[in-house]
Amino acid sequence: MYGQIALTPRSLEEYLPIVGRQRLDELQRLARPLKGLRVLNLSVTAFGTGTAELLSSSVPLLCDLGLDCHWQVVRSDEKTTTVNRAMYRALAGGDSHWNDEMTKVWQDYTEMNAGLFDDDFDVVVVHDPQPTAIRSYLRCKQQRRSHWLFHSHIDLSAANSEVWRLLEDHLQQYEAWIFEEWRFLGDVKTSLPVTIVPPAIDPLALRNMEISGEAMRDILGRYGIDCERPLIAQVAPLTPESDALGAIDVYERLRQQRPDLQLALLATSLPEDPKSYPYFEEVAGRVANLPGAHILSNLDNVGDIEINLVQRASVAVMQRSLQRGFGIWLSDALWKETPVVAAPMGGVSRQVLHGCTGFLADTTEEFARHMMYLLENPDFVEKLGKSGRQHVLDHFTLCRYLSDYLGVLVARTALPRY
Amino acid sequence: MLSPVPTSPKAIEDYRPVIGDDAVDEILELAKPLREARVLHVNSTPFGGGVAEILSSSVPLMQNVGLNAEWQVIRAGDDFFRVSKCMHNSLQGMLMDWTPQMWDVWQHYNRLNAELFDEEYDFVVIHDPQPAAVLASLCELHGHRPAGKWLWRCHIDMTDAQVQVWDALRPYVSEYDAAIFTLRNYIKDDLKGPALFVVPPAIDPLCAKNADIPQDTIDSILCHHEIDPRRPIIAQISRFDPWKDPLGVIDVYRMAKREVPDLQLILVASMASDDPEGWAWYERTVRRAGEDMDISIRTNLNGVGNVEVNAFQRAAQVIIQKSVREGFGLSVTEGLWKGRPVVAGNVGGIPLQIMDGETGYLVSTTEECAGRVLQLLHNQERAAEMGRCAREKVRENFLITRNLRDYLLILRQMCGVDSRSEGNAVSVPAQLAKTQ
Repeated sequence: MYGQIALTPRSLEEYLPIVGRQRLDELQRLARPLKGLRVLNLSVTAFGTGTAELLSSSVPLLCDLGLDCHWQVVRSDEKTTTVNRAMYRALAGGDSHWNDEMTKVWQDYTEMNAGLFDDDFDVVVVHDPQPTAIRSYLRCKQQRRSHWLFHSHIDLSAANSEVWRLLEDHLQQYEAWIFEEWRFLGDVKTSLPVTIVPPAIDPLALRNMEISGEAMRDILGRYGIDCERPLIAQVAPLTPESDALGAIDVYERLRQQRPDLQLALLATSLPEDPKSYPYFEEVAGRVANLPGAHILSNLDNVGDIEINLVQRASVAVMQRSLQRGFGIWLSDALWKETPVVAAPMGGVSRQVLHGCTGFLADTTEEFARHMMYLLENPDFVEKLGKSGRQHVLDHFTLCRYLSDYLGVLVARTALPRY
Repeated sequence: MLSPVPTSPKAIEDYRPVIGDDAVDEILELAKPLREARVLHVNSTPFGGGVAEILSSSVPLMQNVGLNAEWQVIRAGDDFFRVSKCMHNSLQGMLMDWTPQMWDVWQHYNRLNAELFDEEYDFVVIHDPQPAAVLASLCELHGHRPAGKWLWRCHIDMTDAQVQVWDALRPYVSEYDAAIFTLRNYIKDDLKGPALFVVPPAIDPLCAKNADIPQDTIDSILCHHEIDPRRPIIAQISRFDPWKDPLGVIDVYRMAKREVPDLQLILVASMASDDPEGWAWYERTVRRAGEDMDISIRTNLNGVGNVEVNAFQRAAQVIIQKSVREGFGLSVTEGLWKGRPVVAGNVGGIPLQIMDGETGYLVSTTEECAGRVLQLLHNQERAAEMGRCAREKVRENFLITRNLRDYLLILRQMCGVDSRSEGNAVSVPAQLAKTQ
């Protein structure tokens, strides 16, 4: 058996004030044929990733809906963790320096984990690509009788082909795939059914909970942010991929006209890749010489509440660049009625509707122009904010995700087993 | 120039309601002769860890009282950080394999940073061993000693340092004008040359982790974590590793729960995603907790940050720090500051902070710990009284303003404003002498 993640039980009823009775009844109806279905979710990490976040909020709710839903994390050690990360980077289009030795480690790891698979589930959903070959390595063919689904949370469009080839044959033997965006499949061809299930935010998570204005002013004040003055922010890793320097450029430009403006760069993770450390230093160096600019770093134990407050307090949140992934955290800002100005990459343009929930922009000039417009038109900000929240409610909250998920499970389990 | 680190401005006046007029006025008075003095702090990391936390408060405060203070970090590659981590561990008593190549890497980057060092300061404070050789490299590079007074601030406990590593580091450190240690017994007897000082670490009462937060914010945070504010809570905030004994804390909770059935336990840890040992201990902790939903195990990796830690500490009736080994134990200081009695292991800097029976209890075994926790849970009045006393104790001794005052005293001595204490005598701030 793998490491079982213990989750606090939750009740779907908590979402009633947010989504309404009809939506909840619909979920109950969808779940009815799935009562008692034994579902195993397999992932590589228990937290610290978007995948883990989604699992920790969705699995307890699926249990509440009557499914026998579990979440387990495959076994790994230091060496395999390193290899797993390299594999992830390679698949996400990053620099990985993949070599034969890594292939060997990965194979041993897969084989070892296949040996640990000892339970009987109706459905097995593998959420990360790294352990997907476990299915082929299972010693007992019986175990393959479960419905095996691959739920990809990454953008494979720029995947390293050598690494992808390691996985492809194993993945083609799955029963179905789930992706967050069609585009994330890139050139990958398959005859398997592919369902698109975009990620979602949990409106009841601490990152989205309502906080009084007084507490907000007080807590942000501790970080040197003055809530009486306008604030803009980027909530993203301090890496070239998110173009933190570009966000600073926008701020510098805006400050010429609005000297009272403040910038918060909320570093949600620091560069894993030591090569991006000089970039990070450059960001820190520029912020050090810029009045009103602040870095709030996760390394200084800045957590969900700070993210919550910064998104709430900002006139608008920007995302200068998004090299990979869906960027679901933008929906966290939209949910708080804060418009988002972002580069149209990854899943951004599904969340940021130009002129409706925010603006799409490419260059520093465009970013600055849109941001300035928002700074000068509070009524428009309010309007964007309202439709942003509605857009998220309709498309990117957990309940929508659950109904998609139940739909996939119904479709899969209705098929006879082979 | 090395890499400048951004800080947010702070005002000493904001501390008046916390530490009183006399203490603030004393600081302002002490700072007068140091106006415009150029002070540079150098360490190896801008974010994360106790040193960066202290600098992020003390540097802006120094600026605010009139000093021209700056904070920069050294520039280095990945290989340097691997080596310096090894060095750090071996100085803290872990047995590491030290090779001449590792010294080469360390010296190489120190030389490189010396080359980047292109300004003059009145005082340069070098923090910890990582950048300690910058001074020697500068001497070598220019053929003479650089301007200003150079101070080496050692934050680590080198009592059990690997001899060979300390022996190699010592000549570099001996060149400094002053060396500052955290505790009196952390001073290395064989360090000759620098004037020696003792400055314990401190917490910032106005930062997000320690500042007062509204009760309704605390309640909604607890509610989001499915913790019931109406039932008794005990908490430990610390890493998951054998030195902090998280498994022992769960045992303590279980023993106490036999008498207080509605008791809840919060365990919070800061974890690095690349630390497999931390993960292993996290798993063991979770396993020990089992299906008991009254135990909440939380980490930074699922979003728990400063504000939540603050709220958890305030929500607890008793705070535990069941360390079997500890440096200073700043999380104890944070707990005491929240006005909560702390029951903690009698190790490291903890006995310096906890007056047994007055601000908490010092314990050595799980049974003892459970006994004291129960005692406090049963006698809430006594617990509240101890909590008040705990907060006062921290106010007097372990706030960032005291740290600032100590620095000002040391800088005044170093530049001759105040007379130097004799020879290598240790200068301990008077109020601290009481605690030692």
